[in-house]
Amino acid sequence: MSANETTYKIQAMRELLAKKLTRSVVGSLVGCVHCGMCNDACHYVKTHPDDPKMTPSFKADQLRKLFKYNYDWTGKVFPWWVGAKEPLTDADLDVLKDIAFGTCTNCRRCTLNCPMGVDTAVLNRIMRGLLTSVGVMPEGVRVVSKDQWEIGNQMGVLKEDYLETLDWMSDELVNEVNDPNARIPVDEPDCDVIYAINPREAKYDPRTIAAAAKIFWAAGESWTMPSEGWDQTNFGLFSGDDQLGGAAARRVYEKMKELKAKRLVISECGHGYRSTRCEGPNWAGIDQDFQMESSIFTMLRYLKEGRIKVDQAKLRERVTYHDSCNLARSCGITEEPRELLRAVATDFVEMTPNRAENFCCTGGGGAMSMSEYTPRRLESAKVKADQIAATGAKIVVTSCHNCVDGLSDLIKHYKLGCEVKQLVDLVADALVIEECAVMKKAKVVEMPKPALPLDGRRILVVDDEADIRTFLRTVLEDAGAEVYEAGDGNQALAQARALKPNLITLDLSMEGKDGIETFAELRSENGLASIPVCVVTGHPEFREVIYSRAVPPPEGYMDKPIKEEQLVENVRRILGLQDHKLHA
Amino acid sequence: MTAHEPSGLLHSVEIIHWAALGVMAVVYTLRIRWLLAFRGTRDRQAPGSPARTDARKGAMYSLANVMMPWSMESTRRGFPFYVTFVLFHLGVVAGIALAFLSTLSRPFLQAPAVAAATLALLGAAFLIGLYRIARRLLRRVMRLISTPDDYFSVTLLTCWFLLGVFAELNVLGRIGGDGVMVAYLLLTSFFLLYVPFSKISHYLYYPFTRIWLGRTLGHRGVFPLQRG
Repeated sequence: MSANETTYKIQAMRELLAKKLTRSVVGSLVGCVHCGMCNDACHYVKTHPDDPKMTPSFKADQLRKLFKYNYDWTGKVFPWWVGAKEPLTDADLDVLKDIAFGTCTNCRRCTLNCPMGVDTAVLNRIMRGLLTSVGVMPEGVRVVSKDQWEIGNQMGVLKEDYLETLDWMSDELVNEVNDPNARIPVDEPDCDVIYAINPREAKYDPRTIAAAAKIFWAAGESWTMPSEGWDQTNFGLFSGDDQLGGAAARRVYEKMKELKAKRLVISECGHGYRSTRCEGPNWAGIDQDFQMESSIFTMLRYLKEGRIKVDQAKLRERVTYHDSCNLARSCGITEEPRELLRAVATDFVEMTPNRAENFCCTGGGGAMSMSEYTPRRLESAKVKADQIAATGAKIVVTSCHNCVDGLSDLIKHYKLGCEVKQLVDLVADALVIEECAVMKKAKVVEMPKPALPLDGRRILVVDDEADIRTFLRTVLEDAGAEVYEAGDGNQALAQARALKPNLITLDLSMEGKDGIETFAELRSENGLASIPVCVVTGHPEFREVIYSRAVPPPEGYMDKPIKEEQLVENVRRILGLQDHKLHA
Repeated sequence: MTAHEPSGLLHSVEIIHWAALGVMAVVYTLRIRWLLAFRGTRDRQAPGSPARTDARKGAMYSLANVMMPWSMESTRRGFPFYVTFVLFHLGVVAGIALAFLSTLSRPFLQAPAVAAATLALLGAAFLIGLYRIARRLLRRVMRLISTPDDYFSVTLLTCWFLLGVFAELNVLGRIGGDGVMVAYLLLTSFFLLYVPFSKISHYLYYPFTRIWLGRTLGHRGVFPLQRG
């Protein structure tokens, strides 16, 4: 890389920095006194006590140096005095990349432990954004960002694969609950809920989609999943790219508005929730004017409203709850998941520390996509492993997909012998379907009629005798047909033109235009000629007249008096229904 | 007790000292204007937990954080360090008060309780200053994040505390002459002029950083923190 190109990158970083400098960011840049109180808050410091480069203020200082060099009064005149400095070479930028992406998960634990209120995690994210803007980022971040820009979701799941997965999960659910109505609706307009997920669910763990669908179904929810704009995650949060953040969030909001859904429900994902619910409107420059909530709140609401019932006794193993950094420290969600977990588990123990003081799963901040830092990540995970081991839990519950991956990885690495689940899994497993809204609704809703021999068929009965018409109508309607009547030939032709019936029963001897003439006209008129006709007559002598005409013969012929079963059987034969199974 | 009859030199230094205060006020005003000249932001998302908290409550909680050592793990677990933090900053208050009251109301500073408190605070702050210098020099982590300004500022303050002890003794008549007070006021003047350009100006930013962070986290339902 030439010096000119490096200079260009530095210039580009300076320009972007200028756009990122809000009052609160500048406050964090000038507020640090290097007291070191944030040190012990960081899992990287705790597991690398001999490496001073792990300390949060050192990481934030990388941006602070750049800021002071360009903006601080003292830094501009005596840069060495206050540590003001700009990166000069590509090697410098690589060092910055390693610090910003490889030694911090932006978990915000240091922020909450800073006496000055310096938001170190935000500063590190800005540094990531500056580096990303000039193409200096881990390969994994580049690939995932590209997929989210170009394909619309961060794992590059194609639309057909996504829809196929939904279809597959629908089949599974229909089979499980034995209800054909339990399918996952896609792009249904005007629903109460639109459900957005993490692409990891579609690609690697579709059971969580089926679990959520089961809960929506059990609650009798009017819901849908979008065919586009379904990815609630946002790599802009990790890469520091606000433009990507805004674009990804806007896709979700626009689809929701297009489908006129009343509420956007975000599946259990820490960074996805933070990006869509908290940061998204700011990145996208949109004032939030619609409801958004985590599925944690949705499930808890169903439970409180009695729309779903759960059996706590189904889960007797010891469980603990891992607070996602983004949910607890950036969105204030700490109590609702616990309330839900206590409803579905008999042995729940807290890990220490917990809630906003919990330690990161170590897979946050996009760390799972940066394989070059995996050894360091797993070393730093010792803190988390010790926390989990101390609980004695067999199941670690978390409401974040990144955490599921991060925790699963460290559980395997440290041989903890437990598994990771999400609340949606536990709630779906604990459902007492018989007492859920879907079943209560089924009890009051009229049972669907059993299928009838002539269900859905439209039949025109032509006869000049009213009592015969009534008889035919009664028999055919009892067999499920929709029946219309005509008292003479002209009425018959008019009705046939208007109704286009599936079949006409035709009396031959009628006042005015008789059946023979009517039949001839039916057969010769475009649009009517193909309508099957069943002659119903008390004059067998006319049979020859009918069959001798130069038009196609009638499809059926019956002599009066007619037996009910014969009539239905003949009509079914003419309509080609004989082989159809009846679902009665 | 002695009446305050400053020599010509001391009188001149007192004037310099007050002038330095005026300069500092102007520079501080410019500093705040500089900070507020950056773009303000607002949260476009709906409140996170409106039934429990909001931006105002979050800001108040955040601002009061310094008086709630139990609210942060770092101050809860590092309580001795928190105590040194409190004493160090009370020492600054005592030192500033000493400097200005020495020119305005010596009798007040000569009151036994006030004198004892001033000496105790300045003495404790001096010892803590020495500890802080040592901590910054000896710990690798602290060395890495320290700038010349960090070393200079803490050294300046530590010297100033020590000189403050001597100045208070001078006020009490235990040390004669104007030399000590001249030195103390000159150092205070330098301190006042230097502060806006150094890390010591952090106390000026403190309310802003805490309120801005608290406002954001309060709006999102994080502050006040919930505990089990």
